[in-house]
Amino acid sequence: MTQSTIKTNSNDHKIAKLAAIAVAISLVEFFLPSPIPGVKPGIANIIILYTIFKFDYQTGVWVSLIRVFITSIIIGTFLSPTFFLSLSGALCSLLIVLIFKNYNKKNFSLISISLLASLAHIVGQFIVVRVWIIPHDGILYLLPLFLISAFIFGIVNGIIVQKLITSKTK
Amino acid sequence: MKLAGIKNLMQKILLLIKKFKSGDWLVMLLFISLIFFITKYYWEFPQGQYLKIEKNNEIIGTYSLNQKNTFIIDSLMGTSEIIIDNNRARFSKSPCKKQYCIHQGWIKKINQTIICLPNQISISVIGNKEQFDSINY
Amino acid sequence: MSFNKIIVSLFFCLIYGCSYDPIYQKKHYIFGTLVDIKIYGEKEETAKNISNEIIEELNRLHQLLHPWNPGIINDINQAIANDKSIYINNNEIINIIHDASTLENNTKGIFNPAIGKLVNLWGFHSETLPTKLPSKEAINSLVTLKPSMNNISIKNNILKSRNNSVQIDLGGYGKGYALDQIKNILSVNDIPNALINIGGNILALGKRGSKTWVVAIQNPREPGVIAKIPLKPGWSIGTSGDYQKYLIDDEIRYSHLINPFTGLPSQGTQSAIVLTPPSVNSGTLSDVYSKPLFIAHKNKKFIVAKSLGLNYFLIIMEDNSIIISKDMMNEISWYQEPDAKNIITN
Repeated sequence: MTQSTIKTNSNDHKIAKLAAIAVAISLVEFFLPSPIPGVKPGIANIIILYTIFKFDYQTGVWVSLIRVFITSIIIGTFLSPTFFLSLSGALCSLLIVLIFKNYNKKNFSLISISLLASLAHIVGQFIVVRVWIIPHDGILYLLPLFLISAFIFGIVNGIIVQKLITSKTK
Repeated sequence: MKLAGIKNLMQKILLLIKKFKSGDWLVMLLFISLIFFITKYYWEFPQGQYLKIEKNNEIIGTYSLNQKNTFIIDSLMGTSEIIIDNNRARFSKSPCKKQYCIHQGWIKKINQTIICLPNQISISVIGNKEQFDSINY
Repeated sequence: MSFNKIIVSLFFCLIYGCSYDPIYQKKHYIFGTLVDIKIYGEKEETAKNISNEIIEELNRLHQLLHPWNPGIINDINQAIANDKSIYINNNEIINIIHDASTLENNTKGIFNPAIGKLVNLWGFHSETLPTKLPSKEAINSLVTLKPSMNNISIKNNILKSRNNSVQIDLGGYGKGYALDQIKNILSVNDIPNALINIGGNILALGKRGSKTWVVAIQNPREPGVIAKIPLKPGWSIGTSGDYQKYLIDDEIRYSHLINPFTGLPSQGTQSAIVLTPPSVNSGTLSDVYSKPLFIAHKNKKFIVAKSLGLNYFLIIMEDNSIIISKDMMNEISWYQEPDAKNIITN
């Protein structure tokens, strides 16, 4: 009987490390209060964006999805509405970054990408909220608040990622 | 010493801002105008006429805001209390843990909504109760 | 650059809820009746201002047109009763008198605003409902005098009447006229979408957003509505009924709508509802033309409607049978579907 071992390479290590950090941030974020419980600003996006632009898009996707799944398992919200909120936000964010990641680096910096990713993140979550969790038009009333927070975090995340990318030479 | 600290901070911020490319400013501008537009769009509502109370997504009743009354409703986790007074409404008692619904305070404009998720009770302000806009007589 | 904008705006098209419904509503007891103003799609400040302007106008018209309170109309009526001529400074009143005259002729005298004395005789010139029947002699004496708006002539601002039994009563004209005045105010102030209800007479301007305004029709005998019908942009709806102002004697209900030829309150009809299409005086017509439809004999209702160019009307008879035009039948939605055998249509 041959023993089969799963060989991991350095790429996997990278992903694991990044995902771990992302999960940690998500866990902290979980405890932040929010007008609509479950809808969060997406601070962990810093890690995702960093991964995408330091390494490659695929790695970023892995890290993002692992973050969503592991975080929900740890908190205990796996397959709950909160999980789908998180997943939807992550997917929309990833989609937008995919569209724009190679777009005109001369005139747009990572800050733009971060803003758009942040926007997509909130929108993705809102769509799930409006269509499934709280199917009330009244919920849209809160959209402006979340847009503002998306804007702020989009800029902050963008600045941080920009700094991380340009300064780290590892 | 504090002044130096503030000056330092300002310099740091300026450095950061210099890093923004022209396209970034455009994106930020679009974003902000989006926020502005959506805020205007959704927040400019006139005073509502009726309060719609829903339990488990079914309408239990539509009540005129033009009255002073307390509604006691059996909900998933216990009894909830909703007050209508002075053309506005709010949750006054709720068996839920976090009491978010009570903290939201009063609502009065059309489309304003407070939802108590764990209890599955929601109150929202609506304009017109009837299927028609006016009665001819 | 534009690609960005498209993507971003596409995202948000998904979220634009269809729940935006900005209506400003103001109810006011004015013009001797309940007035309900609904303005769609304007800032609250704008709507409030225009609503106040409308209320001011209604106050003005109330004073101007009042059938028995002191005012121009009363002065004119006094002069006529005393066989005197009177100088009228007010062009609006002159136009109204001419208009009322035209409408009397259009309706072949069924709508006759000159029979104020008869209306008064029946006791409908007071804020309270009358309780006693007038005598046959009194009625006949007024009827034979045949007051008519055509008896009035105005030349060089001087009004005189060759028949001193004429007494102008614009009760069946005022609400509709007010609607037309309000229509002008809204138009001048660039307010395209509104629904104005003056004592049940309604004018629809524009729409409620993307939805047409919808009005309900009152049940003439019980509180509640029996049907609803969309009121398209510019259209008006008016009703004459025996259920608001009336006299009950010996268990018989006498409506306040007097037949000028008999001097007696019209009987047999509970309510007559007409819709008038957009025009300069659609409001006035919706008010005035409901009268002949109410008063006319059951067998003549369709003929009268045709002579007045009315395509949308609904009449509920005393025996609960329903006379309804084909066009109206197509648009109406019944809350209580009437028996098919009770419906008479063309």
